[in-house]
Amino acid sequence: MASLRRTKGESLFVRYLILGTWALFCLAPVLWFLSIGLRPRVEIITPQPIYWPTFSLDAWHMIWEDWPMGRYLRNSVLAIIGSVVIDLILAIPAAFALSRYEFRGRDDIGFYILSTRMMAPAIVAIPIFFLFRNAGLLDTIWALMFVYAAINLSVVTWIIRSYMLDIPKELEDAARTDGASDLRILWEIIIPAILPGIITASVIAMIFAINEFLFTLLIASTPNAYTMSVALANFTGGSDGVIYNAIALVAFLAFLPIFLVVVAIQKHLSRGLTLGAVKG
Amino acid sequence: MARIELSGIQKRWGAVWGVRDVNIDIADEEFVVFLGPSGCGKTTTMRMIAGLEEPSEGEVRMDGELMNEVDARDRDVAMVFQGYALYPNMSVYENIRFPLRMRGVPKPEQDGLVRRAAGMTELSEYLDRKPSALSGGQRQRAALARAIVRQPQAFLMDEPLSNLDAKLRQAMRVQIKHIQRELKITTVYVTHDQIEAMTLADRIVIMQAGQIQQIGTPDEIYSDPSNTFVAGFIGAPPMNLIAGEVREGTFRAPGIEVPDLPSHLGGPVTLGIRPEDCRVTSGDAHLKGTVYGVEPTGDVTYLTLKSGESYFEIKADRAYRAPLDTPEGIAFDPAHLYLFDAESGQRIG
Repeated sequence: MASLRRTKGESLFVRYLILGTWALFCLAPVLWFLSIGLRPRVEIITPQPIYWPTFSLDAWHMIWEDWPMGRYLRNSVLAIIGSVVIDLILAIPAAFALSRYEFRGRDDIGFYILSTRMMAPAIVAIPIFFLFRNAGLLDTIWALMFVYAAINLSVVTWIIRSYMLDIPKELEDAARTDGASDLRILWEIIIPAILPGIITASVIAMIFAINEFLFTLLIASTPNAYTMSVALANFTGGSDGVIYNAIALVAFLAFLPIFLVVVAIQKHLSRGLTLGAVKG
Repeated sequence: MARIELSGIQKRWGAVWGVRDVNIDIADEEFVVFLGPSGCGKTTTMRMIAGLEEPSEGEVRMDGELMNEVDARDRDVAMVFQGYALYPNMSVYENIRFPLRMRGVPKPEQDGLVRRAAGMTELSEYLDRKPSALSGGQRQRAALARAIVRQPQAFLMDEPLSNLDAKLRQAMRVQIKHIQRELKITTVYVTHDQIEAMTLADRIVIMQAGQIQQIGTPDEIYSDPSNTFVAGFIGAPPMNLIAGEVREGTFRAPGIEVPDLPSHLGGPVTLGIRPEDCRVTSGDAHLKGTVYGVEPTGDVTYLTLKSGESYFEIKADRAYRAPLDTPEGIAFDPAHLYLFDAESGQRIG
């Protein structure tokens, strides 16, 4: 009995050791750039190793006072939220049709929607630039909203579809015999039932959007439309050289909100990340 | 309250037959049970009445009016589903009120109707709960309340009791029958449980492989089965069906001899006898075999005899006990013998 218990304890210890190592491995860069962001600039570029770092809010003051960081933050938030709203408005009805109606080519259309995500973004970069230039939307948050929405639409549709497939058909049949129209069924029965899926899809879309760099760089040319991700690039040029501590701090600020949301909904997230692969 | 007529109903999915040539006329206020093994087409037939499935051919009429093209939400029927299908995000109250809202019942009337339906199903105390906070039986009753809240033309119930345990099932059975009698609403009920069918139905429709095998009152179905399928499906334990041959008015199979049959019969037949129409005898026996199993249940003892290669079940006296392999003779009640054509299974005597 005693030996059995020890084996159990040992295997538990090994398990925690492995998971702990992995967690440290993942978190190390985050902690590292937090430490860079909270040190004076001189200390970061010194070639000698430093064992006791000096705490400094230089970078913090710099990003808020010398740069329009508030504006970048606002641009990011507006563009991301706007894009998620557009995605949900388009994806929910699309997912409903894909999961509920029988029509010719349904599965092909579903796969086509997903396949748009597999395309290399650079392929459409130039056409998209001209598209927005002709529409007069270059350097606006609107353009960012549309681009983020377009990038994420496939994933959002696919995740919501997988949640909809899980809703028993009986619920819908019941609502129909109770006298509900399709729109009522969607609004009153299905959407409330898949709320966790909608939240998951939204968060995943937000993560992709906040990390988006290529299209944002293409569309934004002034602080009018600069977002956090592009602002990072601003600390690398100019007469000041590369401002590592500011980069690190901004990166941390961009990372933190999403990280907290992910921690809060992690239970749903792992499910959403499978993209309904099981339910082909 | 409505009369429901199905005529020449067929349902096909490509090459797969769901339902073949179903014809039945369900009277106003009647309680009709569709009974059959799973996959026999009974649920599909009901879904066609509800409008959730479109017949490939044939007509569905309610009170004489053709319903084929009428959408489910415009047919005035209420359905109870096997999985209850309660809306998980709504309270019991909201669930029951849902059909009233959808059908535009004036708001001031809604509350009274919901409370009345909840009262009839003994749910008044649970109106604020979400379905997830209810027991199986309560969920069942909530589904029932949602169906009865708006006096529909017809109730359609798809195996509503199959997820409940045996005791609860019996209580709910009585309640469903009571409510149906009280509201006088035409009811179509689908089940694979013969006890439910026998106890609830005014008429039973027995289906197999998409086809109706027999329509009749529970008594008719029980005492006058039209073929071996119906005979074997109704009754617990089921009717004994023995393949054998009739020659000169006598049925013979290994270990079995039954004389004095109608003289016009001859050739291979299947003999049917219900377990309750047999008795253990020490005198003249129709069947001779050895005891294979004895199962006392309290009010009756089930005795299984082995005769040749076949097993034979009878309901013996409650006090009957015997060790295995005891030779035993069985006498049949000659008034309750059934004869079926060996090939088609149709009743011939």
